[in-house]
Amino acid sequence: MILNPLPLSTSRTGGCTLTGALAVTTGIKDSVTIIHGPPGCAHHNFSLLHATILDNDCMVIPSVISSGMSEHDVIFGGEEALMKVIIEAASGDPGIIFVLSTCITETIGDDVLAVTQNAGVPVCLVPTGGFLGGDFEMGFCRALIAVSNLAYPVIRSREYNPESSGSVNLIGEKNLEYEVHENFVEIKRLVSLLDLTINLRFAHDITRSDIDRLPFASVNILREPALSAVGSHLQDAFSTPFVNSFPLGISGTISFIRDVATLSGSKPEKALGIEKKYQKEVLEEFSDLRGSRVKLKIPAGGPEYPLVKEIFHAIGILESHDGTVLPVPYPFPVGTGGMKRMLHLWRRALACRAV
Amino acid sequence: MQGCLNPVWPCALTGAVTALSGFSGIAVIIHGSSGCYFYPATLLHNDLHSTFLVEQEVIFGSSERLIGLVHELSPDYKKVAVVNSCVPSILGEDIRDILSEFNIIFVDSPGYTGDFESGYLAAVKDLPVCMEKNAEGVNIEGINLIDPFARGNQREAERLLQLMGIPVGTIFCHDSYQSLARTADFSITVNPDLCTGYGHQLGSLLGLNSIRKTVTVLAETFCNTDTSRIEIELLAVEERITKAADKYLKRFNPPAVTIFSTCSYSGFAAATLKHYLDADILFCGSRNDPARSCMNNEKVTSLAVIESAIRNHQPDLVLGSTFERSVAGDAAFVGLTPPIRGEFRLSSKPLAGTEGELSFMEDVLNACMDRQQSGK
Repeated sequence: MILNPLPLSTSRTGGCTLTGALAVTTGIKDSVTIIHGPPGCAHHNFSLLHATILDNDCMVIPSVISSGMSEHDVIFGGEEALMKVIIEAASGDPGIIFVLSTCITETIGDDVLAVTQNAGVPVCLVPTGGFLGGDFEMGFCRALIAVSNLAYPVIRSREYNPESSGSVNLIGEKNLEYEVHENFVEIKRLVSLLDLTINLRFAHDITRSDIDRLPFASVNILREPALSAVGSHLQDAFSTPFVNSFPLGISGTISFIRDVATLSGSKPEKALGIEKKYQKEVLEEFSDLRGSRVKLKIPAGGPEYPLVKEIFHAIGILESHDGTVLPVPYPFPVGTGGMKRMLHLWRRALACRAV
Repeated sequence: MQGCLNPVWPCALTGAVTALSGFSGIAVIIHGSSGCYFYPATLLHNDLHSTFLVEQEVIFGSSERLIGLVHELSPDYKKVAVVNSCVPSILGEDIRDILSEFNIIFVDSPGYTGDFESGYLAAVKDLPVCMEKNAEGVNIEGINLIDPFARGNQREAERLLQLMGIPVGTIFCHDSYQSLARTADFSITVNPDLCTGYGHQLGSLLGLNSIRKTVTVLAETFCNTDTSRIEIELLAVEERITKAADKYLKRFNPPAVTIFSTCSYSGFAAATLKHYLDADILFCGSRNDPARSCMNNEKVTSLAVIESAIRNHQPDLVLGSTFERSVAGDAAFVGLTPPIRGEFRLSSKPLAGTEGELSFMEDVLNACMDRQQSGK
């Protein structure tokens, strides 16, 4: 059985669905993720995750098991190998077992769904399939949706009034990005201005039982607009409204506060006043950059361009074809805190040019 | 156990791509998806190409895309090499036939067929090597670009051959494509796990004893070879390490060690530590299938098994990769195996040759000293 419909818009260079899905499932600390495919697929991804763990100074190593598909399994089918590994994984009593298929198991036609249904232990199947399942982003979205479905048994929507919860969920933090912690700290700071707390980081450094808290927040804050399908799914499931991106840029951060306030039923005036004052202080700290002639190497039609131009305008930085090339980090820095770190990068770039 | 928890060693495809991308002038195409492309690309930091397959090619065939890419790259390179990945290999397309109008290297090395070493050696076997009759010199084998010691090992092998006045033949696998046309009749290696089979193998440069034997064989093979400088160097190196090791042993007990690496590297490390420090080798895990010479090694490619071996043996010193370091606990750690991340490595550190022996023992003694002192 082929688990996935053929995605017509698959990007050729969009990376592997598995990596996207693993970026979510390995964010659940007490889980085990089984990759049904050759060991190489699991190694590639585990190695990447391990490198990220090192970069983020976090030493909780995720459990990623390969079903160890060999040439024999490719010829005779890998379902038996998968069943054995599920049983082995279950013997360790993990919080939850995830199963991800690969392009090779999709191609040879292993019935992964049937194996997981007959395993006799609860298994969460995430419909991936290497490049046959789409790309990194699709794997990421599908995993978030599959994992969110684990929260269904505890819905108590009648007993619960979202507007009174005073908390938000962060949905789809990019666990593989270098500044994931700094971005979290920035969002926590911004929502605290509205007297809101973080209910759940879905799915970053949480346990299986934490997932049950998913329905209980006033607002879901998505990491980026590409996760809108996940936001809509959660809205349908738990009636939680969503903001579709972490805040980017000067006015973007102000709109973010306003949007979260509206959806959570908070009053934004005090928070907006504090943040505008802070932004002014940050921009003044970099007033020495006023009049600097700079050049950008990002596409003028891209989403980052207006955000950068807004900062140029606020400080008085001039764009010029013979100016110093300014680095613009990818992904774009989050909130006012992220903008401040980027301004330090710019100051260094301009100082290097002056030397 | 059927499954492998947290596998720590790359697949055959990565091995094949590593071998081929070591030759400048060869365009390496990974015939597969972007997922199969990104890992070797990030590991090697070399220019690699890919057909970036999507489901469309799985249904309608990949020939058009592959021919298009080979056609595009051919004018800019001496040779194009195509490495097959898992899915196209089971689709059963006859890639050689599809590309029959091009003179390409084709390596059928999908990930499910084996480990890094098997892919590396399969690719080397398919290289268009021309054993030039009476070609001067000696080939250097065992250079593997994902190995953190690759640059250092190559330099050390070149230096030692130069000291003996012997020209260098082809360097497998870090040379130009043209060098394959002048492969010499004789080879030495810096990593016996990666012997290519091209030329008569004259020995290894991994460890002082091996170097001594290899130098003797080289002197017997090549007339007018001057071995005196190397012999003096070997004595001096042994004396320097012995002195340092004696100093260490005056204060501290020999370390109890667990080693996790490829078969040759772990064999080298175990022998060297026993020789100089009378170290207690508690466990020797091999990433690849242990050769006959390393029968005491156990094949270990799961981080869970590595972690449990370290926990069970409670070593003073762990040798391995970044993976081992993350589960080494309080033990001293020395990097021996790729990947070694989380530290800057700018110089060309060798493991082979006399400088390799010095560098390895220097790292071990310093790591053990640091641990002893931090425990005070």
